[in-house]
Amino acid sequence: MSEGGAMRDQWYPVGMTKQLTAQGRDTMLMGEPIRVALAGGAPSVTDGTGRALPVIDRFGHVWTSLGQPEKDLFTIPEVDQPGRRLVDVGVCRVRCSPLRAVENFLDIAHFPFVHTDILGSEPHTEVARYEVEIRDDVDEVWATKVKFFQPQAAKSAEGGITTDYMYRVCAPTCSVLYKTCPPKPGEWDVIALFVQPLTETLCDVWPYMALYDDDAEMTDLIHFQQMIFVQDRSVLENQLPALLPLDPGREIPTRADMTSIAYRRWLKRHGFTYGAQLVAA
Amino acid sequence: MGMMGAACSDPCASAPTPDTGDTVPTDWTPAALSDDIPVASAAPGQLGPHDLAIWRSASGRIAAWADRCPHRGMRLSHGFVRGERLSCIYHGWGYGEGGQCVRIPAHPELTPPEAIRVPVFSVAEASGVIWVAEEAPDGPPPEFPGVVAFRSLQVSAAPEALAAALGGTGTVIETVLGGAQVVALIQPLRGGAAGLHLLAPEGSDPAALDALSAEVEALRRRVEAAEEMTA
Amino acid sequence: MILYDYILSPSCYRVRLLAALIGRRLDLWAVDVHPGQEHLSEPMLALNPAGTIPVLTDDGLVLTESTAILTYLAAHDAPAWLGEDTAAMRARVAQWLAFAQRLTDSAGAARAHDMLLAPGDIDALRGQATQALRELEAALSAGRRRGESFLAGNRPTIADIACFPHVALAPDGGLPLDPYPSIRLWMRAIRALDGFIEMPGIHRLHELKPEPGPMPEVIRKEQA
Repeated sequence: MSEGGAMRDQWYPVGMTKQLTAQGRDTMLMGEPIRVALAGGAPSVTDGTGRALPVIDRFGHVWTSLGQPEKDLFTIPEVDQPGRRLVDVGVCRVRCSPLRAVENFLDIAHFPFVHTDILGSEPHTEVARYEVEIRDDVDEVWATKVKFFQPQAAKSAEGGITTDYMYRVCAPTCSVLYKTCPPKPGEWDVIALFVQPLTETLCDVWPYMALYDDDAEMTDLIHFQQMIFVQDRSVLENQLPALLPLDPGREIPTRADMTSIAYRRWLKRHGFTYGAQLVAA
Repeated sequence: MGMMGAACSDPCASAPTPDTGDTVPTDWTPAALSDDIPVASAAPGQLGPHDLAIWRSASGRIAAWADRCPHRGMRLSHGFVRGERLSCIYHGWGYGEGGQCVRIPAHPELTPPEAIRVPVFSVAEASGVIWVAEEAPDGPPPEFPGVVAFRSLQVSAAPEALAAALGGTGTVIETVLGGAQVVALIQPLRGGAAGLHLLAPEGSDPAALDALSAEVEALRRRVEAAEEMTA
Repeated sequence: MILYDYILSPSCYRVRLLAALIGRRLDLWAVDVHPGQEHLSEPMLALNPAGTIPVLTDDGLVLTESTAILTYLAAHDAPAWLGEDTAAMRARVAQWLAFAQRLTDSAGAARAHDMLLAPGDIDALRGQATQALRELEAALSAGRRRGESFLAGNRPTIADIACFPHVALAPDGGLPLDPYPSIRLWMRAIRALDGFIEMPGIHRLHELKPEPGPMPEVIRKEQA
């Protein structure tokens, strides 16, 4: 099997559609150089030898694969609902495993310490029991009934509220979270993290949002999410080992980490090991 | 060399031999200066291949632990000290005496299992220097009467090259620098670098110490330039 | 006063931080620098032809250099922060304000390269930043020998606020701060100031808050 194993046949984000140019942009995917460009008005991706790679243009981003994806790229049905504002947050590069970037996105227990007074605050640190499952029909990891007390859950939130969350891992380096939407009770705001694995320890992260928020300036929405992600960045760059350990024993989870446990199990089951450490060194 | 006294008449007896930074010295290794890690603070350190979180509790107790939270591998040296505990910046897991986890904020009611423990290194302070070791060495770290901790610097050159530039060998060098009688402690660091922990004469006035500081910066420039030439 | 601002910009953070420390309220106008490149849009270029942020406007006055904005805010609301006690102190402040530009051009450019994919010769930028950080470390250690915790003396001035952001964020650009104990203590002193605010990449000094005890039953019930 070539470098990347089963992850070679998956789809990855490699750029924002509206930033494409004819001369293109050189970037990397799983250690291999690629070029992402606009050819005849449509996105095109080529590898280091000039070979055309498969392309999907979805969620404001260009997606490609070095291998032969068996499945179409996942969908996010909420994105098509009328009234939502679609937000391209822009790229942020992180020196970490792409899998660690996703795992951090699935975590709520760090909110009071890393996103202090925004997504969490002491003494409201307790993580209540929630539900996690690997849904075999769609082959995704889902965490539901997640609740956390937040001083400022979103740009549109005034004061503290208990926020409900759902998390969904729909590809090895992509996750979507659904959270309480203060201006529109009963609906969920959608925030996605699309991670482009440049190497096993370097990634470009492309957050993306579909929000019900008629009042906030678009720039404020972008900056709120950039703020949250960059607060995580210094943590992600200082985890040891850099690779995500998939075998138990190297790291100690608790009940609050059930989503992470399921994610690691799902990765291992599929042989999604690019950016992972299989046997404790 | 009379001013140094008997305690360091045979510095090699209590000092590790230079190494590449990959092997773990069996004797005390200087890792930081005491004044650089005041109460209720933490700082990163190294011992051979190990990353350390060196921290001082509110009551003044110094500790050197593996720089890795057992939960998710975050560096503990980025953490925060409250009272007698060091807590991880990522999820706030708190660790007390002996590296034992005593608090998991996500589960405030839970008494953390004893198995959640950060590996602990030996640590001792002498002459204003924080010394570390993997296993407790037989004796205490060396004392250097007449000198006090001055500055720690990192040098991008091999420990041997730094020692040679100081006119000595090994990791404890008594020499004259900028007109002052000093003790230079050399710490092997990973990546072919060296830590230099400098002790200066007790009671020196600020101007003399400024001169010494300038002298050691100049020495670093020379050593690094020479290292670059050979590289 | 209106500050044209970007949450991830250390130079904008200089202004937000000083304003917070001296209690000056600013109206923030978010500029979509990344990914939108709005700082290079016509309306922004009309305000500042250099295409940089922050920009501060106040009753017809337009200021486009962050160190000048710091000077203005301090002179306007908190003159002690100018550090004008003596001729030497005044000159030291000026010197560190100039030094802050070197940090922007080296550590700041390294960070923009590593984080936001800005172009640049990363090895050269890190080399220049390391040189600057070493100078800062030497100066701060000299200050400590004289009982001074800050750049121009024993109290913070706009010089500290100008230098702090790019230093604290240097690890974002692949520049570890491990080798600089005096810089670490100085950053701690700044982070401990009354009114201090963070920016993304700089964590809260959680040690300033006491360890929470058992949570009161009433809150526990509300959360359940």
